[in-house]
Amino acid sequence: MNTQRERLLPVLVTLAIAMVLTILPLPGWMEAWRPAWVALVLVYWGLETREVVPVGAAFVSGLALDLLTGSLLGMHALEYVVLVYLVIRFRARLRFFPPWQQALSVLALLVNDRIIVLWIVSLKGDPLPSPGFWLAPLVSTFIWPWMFLLLDRYRRSMRHRAAA
Amino acid sequence: MVPGGTGVSAKLSEQAALTARLMLYGLLAIVLMAMDHRGKYVPRVREAAGYFIEPIYHAVEWPVSAARGVYAFFQSSSHTQRENARLREQLLGQQGDLQRLAALTEENHRLRALLEGTASQRFEFRFAELIAVDLDPFSHKVVIDRGSSSGVERGQAVIDGAGVMGQVEEVHPHLATVRLISDPNHALPVQINRTGQRTVAYGSGETQALILPSIPREADVREGDLVVTSGLGGRFPGGYPVATVTAVDRDEGLTFARATARPLAALDRGREVLLIRTLAPEPTAAGEEVDPRAHTDAAGEQVDSDGEAVPRGESPEAAGGADGTDADDPGGGRP
Repeated sequence: MNTQRERLLPVLVTLAIAMVLTILPLPGWMEAWRPAWVALVLVYWGLETREVVPVGAAFVSGLALDLLTGSLLGMHALEYVVLVYLVIRFRARLRFFPPWQQALSVLALLVNDRIIVLWIVSLKGDPLPSPGFWLAPLVSTFIWPWMFLLLDRYRRSMRHRAAA
Repeated sequence: MVPGGTGVSAKLSEQAALTARLMLYGLLAIVLMAMDHRGKYVPRVREAAGYFIEPIYHAVEWPVSAARGVYAFFQSSSHTQRENARLREQLLGQQGDLQRLAALTEENHRLRALLEGTASQRFEFRFAELIAVDLDPFSHKVVIDRGSSSGVERGQAVIDGAGVMGQVEEVHPHLATVRLISDPNHALPVQINRTGQRTVAYGSGETQALILPSIPREADVREGDLVVTSGLGGRFPGGYPVATVTAVDRDEGLTFARATARPLAALDRGREVLLIRTLAPEPTAAGEEVDPRAHTDAAGEQVDSDGEAVPRGESPEAAGGADGTDADDPGGGRP
């Protein structure tokens, strides 16, 4: 019980930080450059610890983000459920890719994610988004390796503290 | 599967369970989206979630407003003086306009009384600031720092210094979300100021454009025309500027001409907004006594106390009417 709580805490902390970063105000021109923070964090935890971030947790964090950003309730939930499903499904392969290859697969995952958004937007009957819509996966791909190292270091320090 | 099963079948069942979960949660998400799109139950969920969301918004906003405060503190005095001079000039010009407005309002009242038309509506303005959080770009919403505790109501019109911004959608205790007129699902009853041609302005999904898709083809609409609210529908008061027409497309094959217009309000970068509340129209006889400047002059605090006073002032009248015995008295005494 205690160990599970210890394992859950870093996930919750990083998800909360990612959500705050998602609603942090940016100047207008930079808005399209905002990385998909929550998606990246979910990919990381999906790769590293499957037990802690199952599909259900992705659903819940998607709902939380929906409420926080005022988007259509269930939109982010669907995105992240599919995202984490794919990560877990191809986990064995993704984990042992060299970094650049891993970054490329993150790009593929996030582009797929955008396609889901596009599908939802067009089902709603809204006009299609501007080209800037496709910037976020690219930016996220560039951030991924650093994000991976950062989260890895954070997770290790947490583990050390738990052991001490 | 039993834990002791063979590796392959255990893996297969694990995958089946994973796929089942994907389908379950995916379906759940789609049902939720459909419900939200149709406006069923979900607004209540959002209201409830507001209690958790409010502190997060304030926490995110705090460093931003602190940084703004520091910036303002270190702004050079010459800059401040220049700004002060500019604002003073602006104020003078606007005061001139307001003086004329008072006379015009008076004249309007008299003319309406002569024509025995309905009294013009009275409005109350309330200042609010946008909270610095970025919402989902597809949601076309902004958050303001006034909520039900300061009397904000669902459906109130929101304007900024230049034009109409949107309407209040969800109200929480200390903040409210405003749906912008750029939302593709938002329709705003408008008219062309020059000709009085009435039509409807829809959001385009982009903050830089509104679409007026149903103008009669022979109607006189030109580039540069001012689009104002028509006041039909009752939600937005009439006469507020909305946009300027940027292009008119008169396609031979279509029944209607289609115009695009650029919103005047700073939908994507404004900070201060005004909330408009429509007060009950007063009886025509009393209408002439009202000094319109009292309204337009009122700063936020004054309006606050005004707003509290209005419902209280009305309640004894309502109580008197409910008594039944002297129900005729107030009605008979008025004209």
